[in-house]
Amino acid sequence: MNDALVVICLLLVAASATAAVAVRDPERQALVLAVLGLSLAVLFTVFQAPDVALSQLAVGSVLTPLLVLLSVRKVRRGAGPKTRRGTGPDRGGRDRTRPDAGPQPPGGRGGRDGATG
Amino acid sequence: MNGWLVAAAVLLAGGLGAAVWGVATGPLGRRVVTQNMTTSLVCVAVLLLAQGYRRPAYVDIGLELSLLGPIGTLVYARLLADDLRPDPPRAPRLTAVAAAGTAAVVIALAVASGPGRAAVKLLLVGALLITGNVVASRALAGGIPEEARHE
Amino acid sequence: MSRRLRMLLLALGGAGFAALFAAACLELPHFGAARHPYGERAVHAALARHTANVVSAVNFDQRAFDTLGEESILFAAVLGTVVLLRQTRGERQVRPEPVAVARPVRRYSLVMVPVALLTGLYVVAHGQLSPGGGFQGGVVVATALHLLYIGVDYQALERIRPVGGYEVGDAAGEAAYLVLGAAGLLGGSAFLANTLLPYGTFNTIPSGGTVPLLNAAIGMEVACAVVVLLARFLDQAVEIVDGSGE
Repeated sequence: MNDALVVICLLLVAASATAAVAVRDPERQALVLAVLGLSLAVLFTVFQAPDVALSQLAVGSVLTPLLVLLSVRKVRRGAGPKTRRGTGPDRGGRDRTRPDAGPQPPGGRGGRDGATG
Repeated sequence: MNGWLVAAAVLLAGGLGAAVWGVATGPLGRRVVTQNMTTSLVCVAVLLLAQGYRRPAYVDIGLELSLLGPIGTLVYARLLADDLRPDPPRAPRLTAVAAAGTAAVVIALAVASGPGRAAVKLLLVGALLITGNVVASRALAGGIPEEARHE
Repeated sequence: MSRRLRMLLLALGGAGFAALFAAACLELPHFGAARHPYGERAVHAALARHTANVVSAVNFDQRAFDTLGEESILFAAVLGTVVLLRQTRGERQVRPEPVAVARPVRRYSLVMVPVALLTGLYVVAHGQLSPGGGFQGGVVVATALHLLYIGVDYQALERIRPVGGYEVGDAAGEAAYLVLGAAGLLGGSAFLANTLLPYGTFNTIPSGGTVPLLNAAIGMEVACAVVVLLARFLDQAVEIVDGSGE
């Protein structure tokens, strides 16, 4: 049974880590990072390493998202109000994937995501 | 064969697998709701693992997660409030299902561990988790406005 | 050296490394096996010194010097952040206006601050007995304080967070670890050696000699370091703006 658990957890960690890399917007990345952290915590628990799981949870559930989001906020604010509303000629504005960001072909997202990375 | 471990494996394979998909795709609202639900899911799974391995000390992991997980969701609710305002994510049904599921598992675990400090701790973790999940859902649904600034 | 020769040298080195690495891997204990030569010795040493949590015994007794290094890395990293994220010329501070957080969220946050603080202290205090310790508990304590910013208001956080005090606490935690190490030296033994204090009764809080003390020092250092670190980030994200733009 334990082997099955180990395999499940490893697959989940691999999947969420890949997703964390594939998602390009830092805010969304922070969300995937939270799920990756939780998967890692379960993996460490399954490996019977509760101390490591606790460390992972302590850092991964609040501290990392807070640092990432505060940094994103500072950078976006520094870019000025024009970029904020997504009307400027920016390449990587925050509104790239927002549903109300204007007429944007649904297929165009992936390509732009790739281009801005 | 250990029923608790089987339950944890099923929960992780199904629930956490779906969570990875839900958090990596779709609109922002769905992603933050998924993140919130993942906390409950993983916490319950860890409690099941603690029982399955017969290691009551592992309940501490669940305790920490039941506290920090909802706080993490509040971080997103607070700092993504601008992006979430046009379409505040509401998931009352999902929240209710998560709360009921958490309660059911925690009560089953508390009964299995017998009366004593361990059962009280399990019930405490369950209560913290359900409260945190409900409050975090409320926060995501527009509970925290973006702060204004003196200019 | 020609390109060809360099590639040859690289291939030689790579092949040598691969051979040695493979040989070493063959000698490793099997993954997840019940017996492990290092693990057995570590458990034996931990039990001899009445430390129930073997991981804590490794961190604060058998490998206490490594932990000093890790603690110093965190200390230096926070110091670097403080220097990099200071308010520079041309930047000015603005006071953020209070936000109207929904009442259930606010109430939850206010109730959870003491609960999370208590849990953090519990994790620190039981580091030598059950999973957890100074690092994990310290981060929980620091997170608990920032719940005031997340769920209540930035000014509520500022009221309980005189950053200067936490900077002193950070340094004091780091210093306490060094002083405890030096105490071992003065006591006629080695630096950070766990020979000074009685080992106590197994599975009680004052057991394990210097382990709980070093654990507490780490807890203090980490909690204060995280508070200082987040204070700098919050300053930048919430208060400090570019002076030229307004």
